[in-house]
Amino acid sequence: MKLLLVTRTQRPEGRVAQTRKTIEVDWVRVGRNASCEIHLPDARVALEQGMIVNRDGLVYLEGEAGSQDITRKSVRSVRMKPGEPIDVGPYRLEAIPAPEGYDGAVSVEKARDADVAPDFASRVSRTTLRSIGMTKRRAAWISIFVIAVLFFLVPAGRVLDLPWREAAMTLGIGDRFWNPGPLMLGHQPIAAKCAACHEVAFQQVKDRACLKCHEKIGEHVAPAMHPAALFEGARCASCHREHKGAKATHRDDDGMCIACHRDIHAKARDAKSGNVSDFAKAHPKFRLTLPTGGHGLKFPHAVHLDRKGVKSPGKGRVVLECASCHKPDSSGRLMQPIRFEKQCQECHRLDIEPAVMAREVPHGDPAAVAAMIDEFYANLALKGTRDSFQKAFGVPGEGLLRRAGAASEGEREDALRMASRKAAKVTAELFDVRVCATCHEVSHAKDWKIAPVRASNRWMPGARFDHKAHASAKCADCHDVAMSKTLRDVSMPSIETCRECHAGSAPTEKKVTSNCLLCHGFHDPRYTWGADAK
Amino acid sequence: MRHYSILEYASFRWFKAAIALVATASAAYLWHEPPLKPYGGTWLGYTLGTVGAILIVWLMAYGIRKRRYASTVGTVQGWLSGHVYLGTALIVVVTLHTGFELGWNVHTLAYVLMLLTVVSGMYGVFVYLRVPGAMTSNLGEDTLDAIVLRVGDLDREMREKAMSLPDTLFALVDKSVHGSRLGGSLQRIVSGADPKCPTAAAIREWPQHAKRLTGDAAKLDKQVFGLLLQKNQLLERARRDLRYKAILDMWLYFHVPLAFMLLAALVVHVVSVFIYW
Repeated sequence: MKLLLVTRTQRPEGRVAQTRKTIEVDWVRVGRNASCEIHLPDARVALEQGMIVNRDGLVYLEGEAGSQDITRKSVRSVRMKPGEPIDVGPYRLEAIPAPEGYDGAVSVEKARDADVAPDFASRVSRTTLRSIGMTKRRAAWISIFVIAVLFFLVPAGRVLDLPWREAAMTLGIGDRFWNPGPLMLGHQPIAAKCAACHEVAFQQVKDRACLKCHEKIGEHVAPAMHPAALFEGARCASCHREHKGAKATHRDDDGMCIACHRDIHAKARDAKSGNVSDFAKAHPKFRLTLPTGGHGLKFPHAVHLDRKGVKSPGKGRVVLECASCHKPDSSGRLMQPIRFEKQCQECHRLDIEPAVMAREVPHGDPAAVAAMIDEFYANLALKGTRDSFQKAFGVPGEGLLRRAGAASEGEREDALRMASRKAAKVTAELFDVRVCATCHEVSHAKDWKIAPVRASNRWMPGARFDHKAHASAKCADCHDVAMSKTLRDVSMPSIETCRECHAGSAPTEKKVTSNCLLCHGFHDPRYTWGADAK
Repeated sequence: MRHYSILEYASFRWFKAAIALVATASAAYLWHEPPLKPYGGTWLGYTLGTVGAILIVWLMAYGIRKRRYASTVGTVQGWLSGHVYLGTALIVVVTLHTGFELGWNVHTLAYVLMLLTVVSGMYGVFVYLRVPGAMTSNLGEDTLDAIVLRVGDLDREMREKAMSLPDTLFALVDKSVHGSRLGGSLQRIVSGADPKCPTAAAIREWPQHAKRLTGDAAKLDKQVFGLLLQKNQLLERARRDLRYKAILDMWLYFHVPLAFMLLAALVVHVVSVFIYW
């Protein structure tokens, strides 16, 4: 068969180009295979889709769908006629009048869009993180927004009085996240109320906020002594930094004390304290607070601490120890003051005349003592039994009112005169010799007088001392009174005694490191803050 | 010519500056006697905090400076060198500013964000020291654009030739031409692989479909298979390149938003501290 193949191609500009080709084969294969006589390069065409044969005219045959074997049963058989094109994939095949010398002629043109390979480059556009829509800017803005709202706008609602104040407060997260650290134990109950201390936004906490509760806290020195420049700018918070932990209240070293007390007179001309920079190296000697005008008591420690004991009225000889009289107070820090009734009276009885009757005078009131003795003997003279009457007055008889019959006025006066004489004698003896004078200075002008007793219980009021903390030491280590015959022997320890165990601020072997605050406090409760505190 | 990294810039000028800053801050911290214990509110605390805040603002200004091509305020190299070294020194300055006082609050939030930002930046430095070498050995003299164009050429050639191959083989080629992708999703960009790549699939499946071919078809089949192999290799290299570029970019998606988060937390920290002075 000799076939003319006319391929029509639509050019972009619209013109139709034609190529002509003569094919001489028995049958003409149609397919996308390059070896096909009618080569239709398109994915929509099968490799060898069909063929054209000459059976008294051109016939187009196709095998089973998808089959490449044309000997199989034909499924399509079309006689090709001009004006009746057949579609093979996107191509259109049509018989056209055959020129001279040809068995037939076929035109081929593309009826639909060409099957072109997609351009790879045009599909490669999303190759970077930015190109797939990831932006840093959005993440940055979102994070700024979240932090600003959550950690600033909401918490600041209350303190800056923003419109959402109430809402922010009911939310409860409030300014909790602004708290920079745990409060001192005592302040923890008000931890959620920032405004209790932080009264005004953007202003430092004022002393008056502290003094609302701590009204009893003392100033350091008497307000009159305040050299204006000295404490200028100092606030409670200068030393007391809050939000620094449950137990942290202030710094515990000497730096801030010594800053002034190294040369205290340069800071405060009238200061009564001496210069100090370290307990071990530079600390003034202890100055005791002694009663002015004498102590007024006769008390030999030596007699009371006699190893052989002292005579007691009821228990024979009793060996006394320090603790027999000196008892710690309830805090254990200091000793209770000595009281006659508690510590002395058991031995030092205030008997009027023990041989007659066990009766003691009251302690501390000379007039009452004299009156009581008067009454005692008057009573004996009037109502005394025969025995006591005789012992008291040294003459036989009995109380006037015990005798038979009514006593005459004269007898009464006699009896009372006798009683009064005896009372005067006993009173003088009790005050001057037997009882009072044992311990007291007694004088007798118009009335009996006892010199005032001025016992000191706080010898060093400027220092904090804790007996309990020193319980491992013996009393005599610090208070050596065993040989003392008079109360004029003051037996408070000297600084040297303390230094035997206490070092200064620098740690020292076998000694207690001792800084200022170990013994001294800053606040003096005698000097309360004035109403003008800022 | 020997390549100087930004770490060596101007004979380690910024390294020395960072060391000086760290040494000064540490010495001051050791010498300082705070009223109770070290924290941000002592005079040294305020000083270190101010230095830290200024540093943070300056470090963030690098993002502006590197976009100002016309600027002559130092060189971008110098800025980056300083950014790296002073950013690292920031950890010390700010840690000393905290006085090691940390808690569940906005102040520690700012501190932690600072640490995260610096650490992400350190990772960035690490990446910039390592990855460019790997990129060069992967692409050689090629560029990604050239590879993409060559893949396009291969596609055309391969498809044309495959027209004469049986349907199954042509289908494999056609899928490779239509379906091969570069990037397109975060997972594919970052992993540098496409487990569903039709080109690789075509290579895997090719032999079983091609073994019965003979003659011209067998010859053509060999050619097309060769083209497929070439294409696959090009795709793999291109994907590795995308991955490397993504690695060079990825840390910035943490570093930059973290830095802005830090800036916000820093402002809140400073303002809140002075509201409750």
